[in-house]
Amino acid sequence: MGLKFDSLRCTACMACEMACGYNRDDAFSMIVSSIVTYRNREKKNYFGLMLKESENLVLARPEKLEIQRIGVVDENVEADPAAKPILLRQACDLCEGTEGGPLCIRLCPQDVISLAD
Amino acid sequence: MNRQMRAPSEIYSTYKDLNKRLARGEEISWGAQGSACPAPATHRNTGRVLRYPKIGVYVGSGTSHSWLWFVELCDRMGFYDVVFLDENQIPQDGLKDLDILAMSGGDTFAVAEGLGIGGSQELEAFVKGGGLYIGSCAGAYLPLNSSKEHLNLFNFVNVKIANLTRTLPEAKRVPEKFCTAYGCSFIFHPVREEVRLITDGIPPFSGMGSLLAPLYGGPPMIPSDSADVLARYEGFTNKTQFLVDEAIAEATLIGRAAAVRTKMGSGHFYLFGPHFEHPHFPFANKLVADAMYWDIRDTPSGTNGHNSNSVIVSGDEARRLLRDFKRELSNCRIVALGMEMMPVTWLIGTKVYEPAKIRVFLEAMWTRIKTLEKMKGVILTVDEESRLIDDAADITVLLREIRTELDKGLDTIHLAPKIFKMLNAMTRRFLDVYFRTIGATFKNKGV
Amino acid sequence: MEYLSSDNIAIIDLSSSEVKSEELSEDLVRDRIGGIGITTQLYERFKDEDPIVLGTGMLTGTSVPGSSLGVITAKSPLTGNVHHAPFCLFSAMEMKYAGFDYIVIKGAAENPVYLWLHDGIADINDASDLWGKSPWELIDIHVGLRRILSEELIQLLTIGRAGEEGSDLAQILVNCWPSGDRWGFGKLMGHKKLKALAVRGMGIFEVADPKGFIEKCAEVLSEIKKGAFLEKRGCIEFPAALGQEDIRDWIAPLVHRHSSCFNCPYPTNTFVKYNEDPKILEETDVEEPGYLITDVYGLLGFKDLGLSAENACRMLEACARDGIEPVAASQLLRKTGKTDLDSLKNALASLTGPVESIATSKFSSWIPPKPIFGDFGLPADGSKDAEWWERRQAVAHIFGIHPIFALMAPELTEDVLIDLFNMGTDLDITQETLDEVVADICQ
Repeated sequence: MGLKFDSLRCTACMACEMACGYNRDDAFSMIVSSIVTYRNREKKNYFGLMLKESENLVLARPEKLEIQRIGVVDENVEADPAAKPILLRQACDLCEGTEGGPLCIRLCPQDVISLAD
Repeated sequence: MNRQMRAPSEIYSTYKDLNKRLARGEEISWGAQGSACPAPATHRNTGRVLRYPKIGVYVGSGTSHSWLWFVELCDRMGFYDVVFLDENQIPQDGLKDLDILAMSGGDTFAVAEGLGIGGSQELEAFVKGGGLYIGSCAGAYLPLNSSKEHLNLFNFVNVKIANLTRTLPEAKRVPEKFCTAYGCSFIFHPVREEVRLITDGIPPFSGMGSLLAPLYGGPPMIPSDSADVLARYEGFTNKTQFLVDEAIAEATLIGRAAAVRTKMGSGHFYLFGPHFEHPHFPFANKLVADAMYWDIRDTPSGTNGHNSNSVIVSGDEARRLLRDFKRELSNCRIVALGMEMMPVTWLIGTKVYEPAKIRVFLEAMWTRIKTLEKMKGVILTVDEESRLIDDAADITVLLREIRTELDKGLDTIHLAPKIFKMLNAMTRRFLDVYFRTIGATFKNKGV
Repeated sequence: MEYLSSDNIAIIDLSSSEVKSEELSEDLVRDRIGGIGITTQLYERFKDEDPIVLGTGMLTGTSVPGSSLGVITAKSPLTGNVHHAPFCLFSAMEMKYAGFDYIVIKGAAENPVYLWLHDGIADINDASDLWGKSPWELIDIHVGLRRILSEELIQLLTIGRAGEEGSDLAQILVNCWPSGDRWGFGKLMGHKKLKALAVRGMGIFEVADPKGFIEKCAEVLSEIKKGAFLEKRGCIEFPAALGQEDIRDWIAPLVHRHSSCFNCPYPTNTFVKYNEDPKILEETDVEEPGYLITDVYGLLGFKDLGLSAENACRMLEACARDGIEPVAASQLLRKTGKTDLDSLKNALASLTGPVESIATSKFSSWIPPKPIFGDFGLPADGSKDAEWWERRQAVAHIFGIHPIFALMAPELTEDVLIDLFNMGTDLDITQETLDEVVADICQ
């Protein structure tokens, strides 16, 4: 189970990013969120969502959904098998243990995010 | 889990309080009233006296960022007599004043190569002379008997590993994190993340029962008779990630040693497969602390206290210094944060580095600046006073350069090794100041 | 101030380049709550030094729906009175997370400077190379401040040529888009040789009752989502709701997407594209495909000149590049009689006042003058609208709620805001406190 996105409904309000940080820190902080509003292209008004999962980066672009593998440079090259987690931005855990389910879903004003099967 | 153990937050405060009392000269025995270490019936009145240890943390070549987890453990629990050592210092009497050397995770081969014969001789002398070696993950592999070049300089512990194979099982996921070539064989990693361990009732791990700890490539061990098995792999949790078929993972891990203790001369090795020092596992952290108290040599080997070259900077000068450092560190953090969701990774040696790892070092310093700001002053060497701000400013410039190149779509692999080397050095320099300053106050020799 | 705050009031003297920090005392917050409750006090304290005071509400940057408001309190060079200009998008949130609840800027620099506000540190940096650049260049990721400081999410409050030249029409922009400044605060910044404030925050705010606070926010949002604006989007709906329905069809061919200010359930900003097909969703090589309409009255001003939707938007862009307040610009351009785009653009450079129809209220006419969409229980004849509006704006500006969103969310009652404030801060203010602060501000 994971999250799915109706990205054209998104208005880049950052409620999800704030909710995720809040769930992790019990405080308002956005530098540990697993979900991030991509709003870097301001003059182009290009925005979407990025979600860090344990092995993937999910990019909910306005035009399509894209999934990238995390931490893979070249699968033909032997890379360190004991790589340790960075712990700063942890993978989405669907707010495990939190009553009410994922907080990003509850606080999104546009119903962009829902649970995928 | 043995619920006689305290809630996680209490663990840290209890040990910090204990360490404060020890640091200020109070004599406390293991299991005595007020001690954080409950004594099981068989070991009560051992007469074993606790002592505030002087700890060296290895931060040299081959280390990953997990040495920062050990730093976090020391900070939370009040172990402030901490110094940081690299591969150049250890061979040059770097261990002589220490009670404990902590070797965390990374690339075991690179660590061995970096330390070389000089480092191995120093390490051998250190442990035989009564020193305590605590190694987790790569640090656990280092002193195990091996025929491989560089590693064969560190054949101190007669323990085999259970995850060595000539025929690799099929990788179920993350194939890039699954195995390392080892001569004609492979070291493979059946699981990652949280595993369940069971302690064998042997001190200092007695009274713990089950606990959780994270595994990121560390060894399941098959000890010889001379080694004490302190904990074994007992099972998995719903957070365990299986890299191979579950049946193979079970066969490889369950029942094997996850933590062993061996003696060499007057000293000991503690080898942990999982990262007992990981900041999210307080009960495992507690065992690391207990190990340090249990086998520390009876008398200190060297001097404690300030580096004689250090000065106390206080008042406005201290505020200005910290502010200037904080300014540059903030600039670094902001650039680093902006890179985190960029699709870039750097393969440096066999290790994959991501931009997020930059901020790991920065946050280790950032979270501690506020504490220093509340002190009346800071204790620095003359070199540190000038280098800290310059280091941070240089890193800001380099990070901005990396960011500019990334935005142009250019390769930044020529810059990446430099930034991580600089970050490691700056973090170490800052933490030296931090532990020295906080430690002085802790021992009531404050600033 | 322990909760929901950076506990930091920065006093920045551009004459001496001195930066001082004061703590935000709980007593002050208990008495004045926040936002303009405190910026007015700070203004009074430093009024002889012609300060520009920036502030946020205690709820700014939190999970309270609509918590995106920052406010600039200063004496308008146009009216001679003290007014409050709202700034939203992400700049107020960023200012708070950068470690500043309030900023007082006094004095004037000898040479152009910009403020770089980050992690509680206020750096006064040389802006000689930036003076003369338009806000559009300043936010550009290839050449502007975001390049210099190497971070794309840095938010700016900035002035353009108009502010640098001391024009009465000068506005403070948020990044390169109009703010709610209708009072020539851009001229004040120009006089102080202050080109921009750049902010980026990585802060963390503790909450007194973390569980209760977030549950209350979720509950309020749930009620808001049942509201009348559920499927409406964009600033075009405001004049449409107030009788100008033809605007929808007029602008529709250019509309690309709508976006929100921080945590605002209603997307009050509409992006139009006229340099590429508005239906294109993917990122293209066109660096400046269009314009973000944050000020619908500016758009209406140019519509009333008889311009096409595209040309009206191009005029908005031209105003933003120069840092000119678009409503005043459209009024003054009307007097010239010009109607073609190039002539109108050329006329901007030499446009001077006097500016008519300046709002006499303390609050900006950037904000629609009536409730929108929601039912606030007001008499249908509109007799209570003005009084209600002023109080509603005061409350929004005190707590840090987007002032336009405040007009469409009757669910965000004063009781709810007080409750959330108390849950977040543990300070226990009452309706009485709020009434006193509102009365003081609106006198």
